Amino acid sequence: MNLQNLSIKRKLMLIIMLTSSVALILSSVSFLIYDLMSFRRQLSQDLMTQAEIIGFNSGAAMAFKDEAAATATLSALKAKEDVVAAALYSPKGKIFAHYFQANKSLPSSLPLRSQESTYRFEGGYLQVFQQVTMNGERVGTLYLLSDMRQWNIRAKRYTGIIVIVVLICGSLALLLSSKLQKLISKPILHLEDTMRTVSSNKNYEIRATRFYGDEIGRLIDGFNTMLSEIQLRDTALQRANNELQTSTHELEVEIVHRKRTQEELLTAKQAAEQASRAKSAFLANMSHELRTPLNAIIGYSEMLEEEMQDSGKISNVLDLQKIQAAGKHLLALINDVLDLSKIEAGKMQLNIEAFEIASMIEEMVTTLKPAIAKNANEFQLRMPEHIGTMRADVTKVRQILLNLLSNACKFTDRGTISLDVDRLRSAGQDWIRFRVGDTGIGISAEQQENLFQEFAQADISIARKYGGTGLGLAISHRFVQLMKGRITVESAPGQGAVFTVHLPVQATTEQVESARYVEKVSSEAAPEATPDADTILVIDDDLAVRDLMSRSLTKMGFRVVAAASGEEGLLLAKQLHPLVITLDVIMPDWDGWTVLNKLKADSDLAEIPVIMVTIVDNEAMGRDLGASSYLIKPVDRERLVTLIEKHRASRFSTAAKTSALPANWSSKGQKNSRKPEAVGPRRH
Amino acid sequence: MPKILLVEDNEMNRDMLSRRLERKGHRVVVAQDGRQGYLLARSERPDLILMDLSLPVMDGWEVTRLLKANGNTRHIPIIVLTAHALVSDREKAFEAGCDDYDTKPVEFGRLSEKIENLLVVRKLS
Repeated sequence: MNLQNLSIKRKLMLIIMLTSSVALILSSVSFLIYDLMSFRRQLSQDLMTQAEIIGFNSGAAMAFKDEAAATATLSALKAKEDVVAAALYSPKGKIFAHYFQANKSLPSSLPLRSQESTYRFEGGYLQVFQQVTMNGERVGTLYLLSDMRQWNIRAKRYTGIIVIVVLICGSLALLLSSKLQKLISKPILHLEDTMRTVSSNKNYEIRATRFYGDEIGRLIDGFNTMLSEIQLRDTALQRANNELQTSTHELEVEIVHRKRTQEELLTAKQAAEQASRAKSAFLANMSHELRTPLNAIIGYSEMLEEEMQDSGKISNVLDLQKIQAAGKHLLALINDVLDLSKIEAGKMQLNIEAFEIASMIEEMVTTLKPAIAKNANEFQLRMPEHIGTMRADVTKVRQILLNLLSNACKFTDRGTISLDVDRLRSAGQDWIRFRVGDTGIGISAEQQENLFQEFAQADISIARKYGGTGLGLAISHRFVQLMKGRITVESAPGQGAVFTVHLPVQATTEQVESARYVEKVSSEAAPEATPDADTILVIDDDLAVRDLMSRSLTKMGFRVVAAASGEEGLLLAKQLHPLVITLDVIMPDWDGWTVLNKLKADSDLAEIPVIMVTIVDNEAMGRDLGASSYLIKPVDRERLVTLIEKHRASRFSTAAKTSALPANWSSKGQKNSRKPEAVGPRRH
Repeated sequence: MPKILLVEDNEMNRDMLSRRLERKGHRVVVAQDGRQGYLLARSERPDLILMDLSLPVMDGWEVTRLLKANGNTRHIPIIVLTAHALVSDREKAFEAGCDDYDTKPVEFGRLSEKIENLLVVRKLS
């Protein structure tokens, strides 16, 4: 086991143990060494003193070469246990007398020759040489050998004591350290335990306990503070998460709801279309079914009239003529209803062709002659000699004029019916103007309001008095609209009436469907508004998005026109020249990129800023194709409005520059002062 | 005396038209459905045919096409009569090969003019 990876508890104990043991052992050993060394010196001095005494005592014996006395003197060493051998040497160095302690094994034999006074330790023994003098004269040398028994015993005893002391102290240190290490290790272990619990349970409410006010205490405080912080954030995160989940759920519900609504709308639309088709088919069938018996009524009455006139029985001719007239009126009514239903179903087709206006008028006047003559009216035709040609649906133009002129005849008695035809140019377009005037009963202002509505004959009593289906003006109005013209009336009761029809010299053959749509859009617009000042064109196939954008932008004071497809959007852009276009990307048929491309390719429309509003995250593509801004759905409404305001401001500032207006001319002032440009005939 | 074949399924119309044509001095043969009309056109060799379009058994377009495809009957002028005033009906009738066209309810004076015109043209050719 690696020392470094030991637990703190063990490390602490180990450190305490090691430190105390080393200190104890070092001090004990140094004491022991000192003691043993001084004891040895003491021993050697003792032995030298002994040697001096014996040397002194044996001086005489040596001087007199009395071996027995010398041996006796040496024998006195018996009392000294540690002196194991002794010898006396003659001045010449020969052994003179000797002594050996009994029962002692000697390390070596006695040195053969004497030496100067000295002592030395050798092989665990202490040897002493001492000069023996007699009256200052050297008479021999004494040799003593000690086995240092006392020293050995002392050394052994002291070592034993030290070992015991060290063991006792060690145990005490172990005991103490195991108790005291908890002061440090316990808070740390607790902290570690707390951390593990927190991280494994992810429970940030747990707190570590602070035991003491030391650094570890502060560490624990810090840890707790950190936990509180984490807990706060965790709670906030949890709350945000919950909110997100709730709103996601709400969003999902909303999406499901919208999808359902969309499906319902689609179903409703299909049902409506189906119903409309059924209605058209029904009307077509009905008109056929109605005509067949009428055929018989008119035919038989005509036949009878002929037969009666042939046979001279004229008494019933007038009645038969009434039957014919009623039948023909009914037929006209059926034809009108059929026409209207075709217009309503969007099935009325324009048959545009060039024709001579003069010959069309002449032909028509010929047809009208009986009607003019009926109420003894005078007819005036004012038309330039070279009125030329126009392109329109000649049948419908004839029908419109016939209708207006026969109305004029019907409501005028012994008066004047007039038809004025001329060319004029207005709003950048050439027009043919037909004015049908009469000096008849006139129409009141209230009556004029509903004049062009279906079945809105000015008065029920009129129908009885003058006849007519009440559909003529409505059909004429629709026909004029189809040809992008306009029809107006000026009249007052008793003052006659003037109906004015403007038709473009060059009628276009646009689809009836789109003509209907344009008319719808235009009628929604406030007629006095500047066509483009505040108009936002929203192109998006999602009804919900169109609705939402319309509502929020309308609230901000913009006029919103919505298109459900790219094609429609492009058409509207051309007509309205909106301030800003918002464009979705994912759409059926033409996608947003295609529409953007087409917008930027058209020099008239290229200047209009386009804001992409989409879930497709491809801003680079949008920029490349020329989009001004790029917003990802769901749209931040404020950001959208800010962008639009920005575009408006820059557009007006550009306009101000190009029209060289004074510098202090504010964009608002300019906006209000802009006169509505005549963009086409006003619709009624 | 010119012989006119009138193909018309509605009894009243048939009766009325035939009587008025007779009064104008025409000989009238009538057929009640397309098939009978076709057979009578081949057997009677009329000078002119008045053909309703919506007919039982075989419709007017089909009869017109068949007659105009046959060398023996191709020269007989056909005036188509229809209650449908739609442009498409008229085009369809001319495509089938008819010589003229009129809408119902018949305005007899106008129809008479058309008949006389075609008979004159035929006499000349």
